[in-house]
Amino acid sequence: MNGLLYYLLIAAVYFCIYCIYCWGINLQFGVAGILNFTFITFVAVGAYFAGVTALGAPDGGLSGQYILGWHLPFPIPPVLGGIAAAILAVLVGIVGLRRLRSDYLAIVTVSVGQIAWFIAGNNVHLFNGWDGISQVPQPWNSVFHLSFTNYGWVFLVICIVLAIIGYIVSQALYRSPYGRVLRAIRDDEDVAAALGKNVFAYKMSAFIIGSVFAGIGGALTVEFVGAFNPSGWTTPETFIIWAAMLIGGQGNNKGMILGAFVVPVVFNEITRFLPNIPGHPQLIDSFRGMAIGLLLILAVRFRPSGLLPERKTLFSLVPTVKGSEGDDRHVLQG
Amino acid sequence: MSFRGNLLTVSDVRKAYGGVQAVNGASFSVREGTITGLIGPNGAGKSTMVNLISGAERAQSGSIHFANQDITRLPTHRIAHLGLVRTFQISRELQRLTVLENLLLAPQHQFGEKSWAALFARRRIQEEEQRHLRKALEMLDRFSLLPLKDEYAGNLSGGQKKLLDLARALMAEPKMLLLDEPMAGVNPTLTRSLQEHIAALNKEGMTFLLIEHNLSVVESICDHVVVMAEGRVLAEGKMDTLRDNEAVVSAYLGG
Repeated sequence: MNGLLYYLLIAAVYFCIYCIYCWGINLQFGVAGILNFTFITFVAVGAYFAGVTALGAPDGGLSGQYILGWHLPFPIPPVLGGIAAAILAVLVGIVGLRRLRSDYLAIVTVSVGQIAWFIAGNNVHLFNGWDGISQVPQPWNSVFHLSFTNYGWVFLVICIVLAIIGYIVSQALYRSPYGRVLRAIRDDEDVAAALGKNVFAYKMSAFIIGSVFAGIGGALTVEFVGAFNPSGWTTPETFIIWAAMLIGGQGNNKGMILGAFVVPVVFNEITRFLPNIPGHPQLIDSFRGMAIGLLLILAVRFRPSGLLPERKTLFSLVPTVKGSEGDDRHVLQG
Repeated sequence: MSFRGNLLTVSDVRKAYGGVQAVNGASFSVREGTITGLIGPNGAGKSTMVNLISGAERAQSGSIHFANQDITRLPTHRIAHLGLVRTFQISRELQRLTVLENLLLAPQHQFGEKSWAALFARRRIQEEEQRHLRKALEMLDRFSLLPLKDEYAGNLSGGQKKLLDLARALMAEPKMLLLDEPMAGVNPTLTRSLQEHIAALNKEGMTFLLIEHNLSVVESICDHVVVMAEGRVLAEGKMDTLRDNEAVVSAYLGG
């Protein structure tokens, strides 16, 4: 029972983190129409930089080699992780977003993901190569001195708070005139430009903000798990996040919560609970990826806008004071 | 309102695609307060000219001036900021935005279009939105689109989309509208309605450059007509005199 409770705790932490990922990729693709096929690379950059700034200087022992080692207290490492992801977004954006065609960026992102993955793996001096960084301290646990299990609750609270902030920020951006420009660019960027919107600058900003979400989510992952290496951010990870967004309902921040629950949590995590079929120890594992693929196909075929489709934004005039209403009319007629 | 200066001046502009000289040294100007027509047979370079003026493409030589500023090398959004707004030949409504949102998008330099403002200055954004909303509702009323205000723009009929294009462009408060074949594929009733809207807006002071195939429309509303053929300006003047111009007639008939 205790094991189950602890398992649910871990699932809840991942659920919060995946919500943050989904809002990030939703801002990029669901709202602004930017095809980023290496979202996980921005997660990884956030995770690595948060990790190496939370870790102390490398001692050449078990923790291996890595850069920085600043031993900074929470919440500075996740902030730096977010900034690192933002910087990568600027670099990728300069190359990929200047061209008007979005498929151009898609190819650039795939290449960047591959390059980053092989560099992180093969260069031992950056983030300890294929072994990755480990023994990253948990936020504030030097103060609490809790056991790993009990500390999990503290971390869950941190994640919930950040997820709530993430939702508020995502909704505020979506509902604002800024979000409206992004949606206009998604629908037809030539029209947006003809109406005076600087398409490149807007796409760049959405790309950066979405990447900051990725970086912070990655930072939370590394601070929870305590370790991070290249096997944790392979290309399929990006597609789990994409599947969550498409199934949840692109353009709908509430849909992202549902998508993060259905795909990464229920299908990817909870299925680890299914009993093993005798004689086929890998069967459930193999079926998991197939099930997510099937779910995606069904969603695209039967609910192309997702479980919670994007909703119409409606407007209403706030009734003004009588005097000023009269003044308005006067001004308009004059 | 006549006898004001030139709002738009195109001087000796050239643009080639590979070996095809789409625009080959065209020069003309649009006087403020007029409806100037730009006509010509298919392949005359009209669409390229629209793209060059609006900044969608860049001229290889020559210059384009708008409101006394050189816009030859400016990107589209900067040209729009100066008050020159274009529409598209085929209606390009923003499908997953409502009709009202299409209009609310258009006002220039909105404070709420900055990402940080969306997070930290929501009250000021709301005041701005209310101001634009009031104007957008009036605009929709003018173009008889008010009942459709909360419909997705992608669900409008072809004719309604044409009206939406015009209403949206006006919300940007331009000095001049560049209309790329607004009557293309439109039924006679709607053509008349669009024509009336354009004439009425012109009376209120709006300047138009109108690319149009329908010569009777051009004849009835344009003050001045520029005829293009093979990338150059072939003739200019009133439509009724151009009808007797042999070069114009042969360009249209002979090709």
